[in-house]
Amino acid sequence: MTLRNTNQRWGAIAQLFHWLIVALIIVQLTLAEMADDLPNGMRKLTFLARHKSFGITVLMLVILRLAWRWLNPHPPLPDNLKPYERKLATFSHGALYTLLFAIPLSGWTMSSARGFPVSWFGFFQLPDLVPRSRPLYEALVTTHVTLVCVLLAVVALHVAGALKHHFVHKDDVLRRMLPFTRNG
Amino acid sequence: MRASSLTGILGLTLLAAGASSPARAAAPPAAAPAAPAAAAQAPGEHYTLDPAKSSLEFIFLQAGAKNTGRFSRFTVGLDFPGADPAGGRLDVTVDVAALETGDKDRDDTLRSDDLFAVTKFPQARFSATRIVRTASGFDAEGPLTIRGVTRDTHVPFTFREASEGGATVGYMAGKTVVRRLDFGVGQGDWKATDQAGNEVTVSFNLRLTRAVR
Repeated sequence: MTLRNTNQRWGAIAQLFHWLIVALIIVQLTLAEMADDLPNGMRKLTFLARHKSFGITVLMLVILRLAWRWLNPHPPLPDNLKPYERKLATFSHGALYTLLFAIPLSGWTMSSARGFPVSWFGFFQLPDLVPRSRPLYEALVTTHVTLVCVLLAVVALHVAGALKHHFVHKDDVLRRMLPFTRNG
Repeated sequence: MRASSLTGILGLTLLAAGASSPARAAAPPAAAPAAPAAAAQAPGEHYTLDPAKSSLEFIFLQAGAKNTGRFSRFTVGLDFPGADPAGGRLDVTVDVAALETGDKDRDDTLRSDDLFAVTKFPQARFSATRIVRTASGFDAEGPLTIRGVTRDTHVPFTFREASEGGATVGYMAGKTVVRRLDFGVGQGDWKATDQAGNEVTVSFNLRLTRAVR
């Protein structure tokens, strides 16, 4: 597998971005769920600090990923897609990128509104995006959670699409994002 | 995702008592036998706090990020004969429960037993019995008590007098670093310092009015 994308498949860098972000989304959901169940205290603080740091990591990865995508032609969708399938694919990919950008950003803004500045694993502190405001914080909590629900719905669509390519269309759309498959 | 929590912290305290401590008046026996009480209280040496124009803040690291809180109720007494700072005293008493970090959940956590335990230890106190001149200002030395633990410390500060509307006021400012665990502020899980830093910077900016005696 090459580092860069080819006409046939995604390169190693694009795949790394894809799967790293998948892993981080799972970590993020887990940390958020665990923190939600805890009373205020050091453990909750720790989980939330990790959640914020990983969230900022996702934000950084998405920016790099979009830059890489822009620099680097990506393998085209198969020719035999129906127009609505093509539209659905384009829409869902656009939505995924947008959400992966908007969700961490809403989390960061929500921390600022709450008055808890965000640090990236203690290495550096991010600036507050908005002044402290309880109503704004409440609204951003709702926004953050709602966007996550939308993300999960779009991910479900994305996975369903990939599986349909693999099992119904029997093309290589799924395989070309898998690191260990041989494929043209 | 709910940002809840809390933090570490500490507060500090400063100052002690100052002025009206009865013990002090008895001081210089040799000099004026006739007027024992008067000697230690030269006019203009005693200052009290103007709370409306003073602040006592603490800056702490929470989850790697800097956060600021303040104590909204504290008293200050300063005996400060400018020409001879060594004869000075500084007493600060802080109502620890009156801490404000801008977040109610965090404030409640800070007041809880594992941190400031304000029910049991409502006050923090600094009683400097010696003030020395330094290159950049002054240094107040004495015991600092937080959460029932007393340790000798010193607090550097600057002081300047100003005349405002015919009254003499003093502006006192400074900061010092306190390690919260030295005072037991952080029991149980809170002994860990990776999410709630041990070092807390306490900073004060005070306007003092000179008491008329």
